[in-house]
Amino acid sequence: MRTTRTHRFAALAAVGLIAAACSGGDDITDSGDKPATSSTTPGDTLAPTTTVALDLLPDCPTDALETATGTVEIEFWHGMGSVLADELQKLADAYNDSQSKVHVTLSGESYEITIDNYLQASQDSRPDLVQMPEYMVQSMVDTESTVPVGKCIDSSGFDTSEFLPTALTAYSTQGVQWAMPFNVSNPVLYYSKKAFIAAGLDPNDPPESLEELRAYSQQLVDSGAAQYGIALDSGFDSGGGWYVEQWFAQAQEYYADGDNGRTNRATQVLYNNQTGVDLLTYVQTMINDGLAISVGDNASGTDDLLKIADESAPAAMAIHTSAALGGALELLKSGVFKQLGADDLGIGRMPGPDGNPGALIGGASLWPVNSGDPVKVAATWDFISYLVSAENQSEWAATTGYVPVRTDALTVEPYKTILDTDSRFSVAYDQLKASPDALTSAGPVVGPLRQIRAVLATAVAKIFGGDDVKTALDEAATQANNLIADYNTSNGG
Amino acid sequence: MKRKLRDLPPALLMLVPSLGLLTVWVIYPLIKAIDYGHKKCDISSRNCRDVGWDRYFSVFQSTQFQDSLIVSLKFTLMTVPIGLVLGIGLAVLADKHLKGIGIFRTIFSSTVATSVAVASLVWFVLLQPSRGILADMLSDWFPVLKNPGLLNDSGTALPAVALSSIWASLGFTFIIIMAGLQSVPRDLYESAFVDGAGSFRRFTNVTLPMLTPSILFVSVVLTTRALQSYGEIDLLTQGGPQATKATTNIPYLIYGNNSVIHNDIGTKSAAAVLLFLLCLAFAALQFRGFGKRVHYGN
Amino acid sequence: MATDAVRGARKVGRYSLLVFVAVVVLFPIYAVLLQALKSGPDAFDHPRSLLPVDLTLDTIRAAWTEGDLGHLLMNSLFVSSVVTVGVIVTSLLAAYAFAFLNFPLKGATFALFLATMLVPAEVTVVINQRTADSLGWMNSYQGLIVPSLASTFGVFLVRQVFLQIPKELREAASLDGVGHMRFLYEVAAPLSRPTLGALGLFTFLGTWNAYLWPSQVINDDEHRTIQIGLNSLKTPNDISKFNLLTGGLVVAALPIFIMLVVFQRQLVRGLTAGAVKG
Repeated sequence: MRTTRTHRFAALAAVGLIAAACSGGDDITDSGDKPATSSTTPGDTLAPTTTVALDLLPDCPTDALETATGTVEIEFWHGMGSVLADELQKLADAYNDSQSKVHVTLSGESYEITIDNYLQASQDSRPDLVQMPEYMVQSMVDTESTVPVGKCIDSSGFDTSEFLPTALTAYSTQGVQWAMPFNVSNPVLYYSKKAFIAAGLDPNDPPESLEELRAYSQQLVDSGAAQYGIALDSGFDSGGGWYVEQWFAQAQEYYADGDNGRTNRATQVLYNNQTGVDLLTYVQTMINDGLAISVGDNASGTDDLLKIADESAPAAMAIHTSAALGGALELLKSGVFKQLGADDLGIGRMPGPDGNPGALIGGASLWPVNSGDPVKVAATWDFISYLVSAENQSEWAATTGYVPVRTDALTVEPYKTILDTDSRFSVAYDQLKASPDALTSAGPVVGPLRQIRAVLATAVAKIFGGDDVKTALDEAATQANNLIADYNTSNGG
Repeated sequence: MKRKLRDLPPALLMLVPSLGLLTVWVIYPLIKAIDYGHKKCDISSRNCRDVGWDRYFSVFQSTQFQDSLIVSLKFTLMTVPIGLVLGIGLAVLADKHLKGIGIFRTIFSSTVATSVAVASLVWFVLLQPSRGILADMLSDWFPVLKNPGLLNDSGTALPAVALSSIWASLGFTFIIIMAGLQSVPRDLYESAFVDGAGSFRRFTNVTLPMLTPSILFVSVVLTTRALQSYGEIDLLTQGGPQATKATTNIPYLIYGNNSVIHNDIGTKSAAAVLLFLLCLAFAALQFRGFGKRVHYGN
Repeated sequence: MATDAVRGARKVGRYSLLVFVAVVVLFPIYAVLLQALKSGPDAFDHPRSLLPVDLTLDTIRAAWTEGDLGHLLMNSLFVSSVVTVGVIVTSLLAAYAFAFLNFPLKGATFALFLATMLVPAEVTVVINQRTADSLGWMNSYQGLIVPSLASTFGVFLVRQVFLQIPKELREAASLDGVGHMRFLYEVAAPLSRPTLGALGLFTFLGTWNAYLWPSQVINDDEHRTIQIGLNSLKTPNDISKFNLLTGGLVVAALPIFIMLVVFQRQLVRGLTAGAVKG
C-alpha cells in the first residue's frame, strides 16, 4: 500500500516538474516581497541624504597598544594565493621579527572564500584584519563590523599626503575613509611586440583609443602577423564586468546613480545608457569583423593571455590585470613558449573611449575588524601602517606587479631599480596617476556589485555571441536594479 | 514489553553517538533550511524577516531555477544512461577467463581512485583550449576544442562536463556490475546454452535480468551524484558559458560564486529544499520503476 | 564447436578490444602524468609528443613545495583516519542496538536513520557552517571530523551482518553473564571483520575525496585538505606556475591509486555491499 502511494507521489512530482518547467517564470531575485523602486533620476547629483554620523562609528584608539602587556596576537584573513601569498607572508614575518608588541598570523584563501567565510562568521570568530576586494565596499560597510580606517588615520596622525588620491577615494563613501588600499591593480594592454613588428607597427607605441585599437587590429590581421587583433573575455572579474566599469570611468561617466553610490546609496545601474551601448556595439563589431576573438568566460583566468602565445591562431593583444605582469614575464623567461620571449611582451595602458587616460582601482584593501578590544584594534592599525609604508609598498610592488599606493614608494628600492630598468612596470601606475580625482574615476559602490558584475558578464557574453546590444544591456540592468532594490531593503537602505 | 524496557538503557547509550550526530548535522540543518526558505536576511544573514511560505513557489517558478532545473535534468540524462551502458559493456568484456584479465579489471576500475576534484582537474588540463593536449592533437578535426574550447562553447560545455563525470564514475559502475555478473550462477548460462540461445539472447534473457539489483543500485547512485554535482561544475566551467548559463545546475545556482543569490541565505535555502524534494522524487521513481523488475532470487 | 583457428582469432579480437578500451580509459591519466613529468617547454610541444622521454621530477617537486602538498596530504590522512575509526565505532554501537536489542520505537528510529541518507549535503552545508562557527570549529580538525563521524550507511551495513549472527549465540552469552559491550567486542565485531574492513576503506575514500564541506569549514593553510589545496594550484595569480597543477594532481591521486591496488578486494566488497544486500 505504502509503495503505491510513493509511486503516485513520485509520478505527480515528475509531472509537476515538467509542467512547471514549461511555464515562464520571474526573476529569482523577485521572489519575496518587492520593495518600491526608487524614483531617482539617473545621473542626478544630490546632496547626501544618508550622511554617516561619524560619532556612531567605532573608535580607533591607536594609543591603546602602549597599555598592552605582553605580545598582542592578531589574525589576518587575506585573499592572496601562490607567490602573492608567499610575499605577503614574508612581509608579515619581517614585521613579527622586527618588534615584540604585536604578532600577526595569516590565513589565506581566494577572495571569494574569504568573503563567504567572513560574512558567515559571527563577530566573535571574525579575524582582527581582513582583506577585501574592491567590489565589497558597500557590503562591508553594511556588515557594521569594522573600524573605519579614517578614524585610525586621525587618531594616530598618520600622514597620507604621499598616497595616490584615487587609491584612497576608492575606499571611501559618504565622507568616511572605510579601508586602507593595499594591493592596487588595474587592467593594462598586453601585446606581442613581435606581431607588431611583423605587421609594420611601432612596437613601442601601443593603441590608446578604441579607434586606434581597431586600426591596429585591422593592420595586424590584414598583414597576417596575427590571426586576431585582440583576445577578449567575458569573465565577471575582467572583460564581462570590471573592464566595463573601467571604460565608464575613462569616459568620465557614472556607472551607478548616487554618484556611483558614493554620495548616496545607489539604487540603479546606468550601464544601459548610450555610452554603454556604444562601447559594447564597438566590441561586438570587432568580433564580427574578425578583429577580436572571444575566449569566453576565461574560467582559468589566463585564457586571454595564453592566446597571445598561441601557435596556430594567436591574437596580438589582450587586456588583463597589471597584477599578472610579474608572473607573465617569469613564464616567458622560462622558455615555455618558444616563439615568444620575455622581451617580446609589450605593455600599454588600457585603450578606452577617446583615448582618455585613467583607470579604476582594482585589487583589495585592508579592513580592521571591530573586535571590541582596543588593544587589538590598535595592534591591527600598527600592522596596517607597516604594510603601507613606502618601503613595504616598494617591496610589494616589485615582486608582484601591483601598483604602489603611494608616490614615494617609487623612489625607494627595490621598486626604483625595476622602474628604471623595465618601463613596463610603470604603465599601470602612470595611468592611475593620470586619472582625474573625480567620483566617476572612483568606481561604483553598490551593495551586490559582485552579483551585478556576474549579471553584466552574462549580457556581455551574449553580446559577444551576437545578441542585440541594447536588449541585452537592458535585461541585465533590470536584473541588476532588482538586486540592488532587494539588497537595500534587507540592509537598511 | 519488559524485555523492551530492560534493553532501553543500553540501546540508548549505543544509539546516542550516531543519533546525536545525525540530529545536529543532518536533521537540524534540514529543518533550519526549510525555515530559512521563507525568510529574507541581511548581508551577514543575521537579521531576517518573514516573506511568506509562497516564496517556495516563486523560487521554483523563477527563470533561474527553471533554467538550472533543466540543466540538472539534462546532465542526469547524459551521465546516467551512458555511464550505465559503458559500465555494463566493460564488465561484460572483462567477464571472461582469459590470461591477464586481472590487469584489465584493475585498469577498468582505476577511475574509482579519482576524487571529483582530481577527475575534474584532469579534464581541465586535457581540455585547456590553447595548450591542452586534446586541442593540440585533435583540433584539426574538431576546431571547437581550440576555438573557443569545449568548456567555453555553449553547445559543448555540458556534454564536456558530463564526459568528465562519466569517466570518473566508470570505475565505480564497472566494479558493481562486475560483481553482479560474477554472482550470476553459471548453470543458468549452461541451460540457456543447451536451449540453443545465441550470445545476444543469453545476454538479454539471462544476464540482464540477473543484473537488475546491481543496475538499480548503480542508477540510484549515479542519479544522486548527477543531481548533486557541484565540484565538477565549480572546477570546470563555473556554471558557464555565462551567455547561456549552460552548466549552471541547481547546486551551482545555490553555491556558485557568481550566483545572483550568493549572499541570500533565504533564497539559497529555499532552492536547496527544492533540490532535496527533487532527489526524493527521483529516488522514489527509480525504486518503483525498477521495483517490479528486480530479480532477487538465486 | 569452433576450430582452433577460429578460437585463436576470437581471442586476438577480444584482446585487441580489451587493450583498446584500456588505452581509452587510461589516456587521461597518462596524458596528465606525462605532462607532469616533462620540463616546461617539452610539456607544451607542438605537435605534442606522447612518448615518455626526457622525463624529470622538476614539476612535481615544484608543485610539492609551491602547494605545500606534504602538509595537505598529512591533513587528509589524519582526518580520514580519525573519521574512519570513528565511523566504525559509531556504526558498531548503533548496529548492535538495532540488531540485538529491543526497545520502544525501534522501527521508527531505524526509519529515521535511513531517511537521513536521503538528505543531500547540498541542503545542510549552509546551516552546518553556522553550527561549526558557533561551536568555534571553523578552521579546526573538529570541524572537519565531527560532522562525518556518524554514517547511516555504516549502521545499515553492519546491522545486516549482525542480523545473520544467530540470536541463540547472544542469549547463551547473556546467560553466562556476558554484557552487551563484551559480546560486541569479543563476538559480534570479530565476526563482521570483512564488512568492517570494507566500511573502513569506503569511509576513508569518501573522507579523503570530500570537497564541498572542507571547502566551507576551512579557511587556513594549517587545516586544509589535499582536495581543496589543489584548487590553489589551478588558478594561481601567477601564470608562470601554469603547469604545476599537473604535478599536484599526480601527488594527490597517487596514494589512492596505491591503496586501490593493495586493497582492491575490500574496496569491491565495500562498494558492492549496497548493491547486493540492498
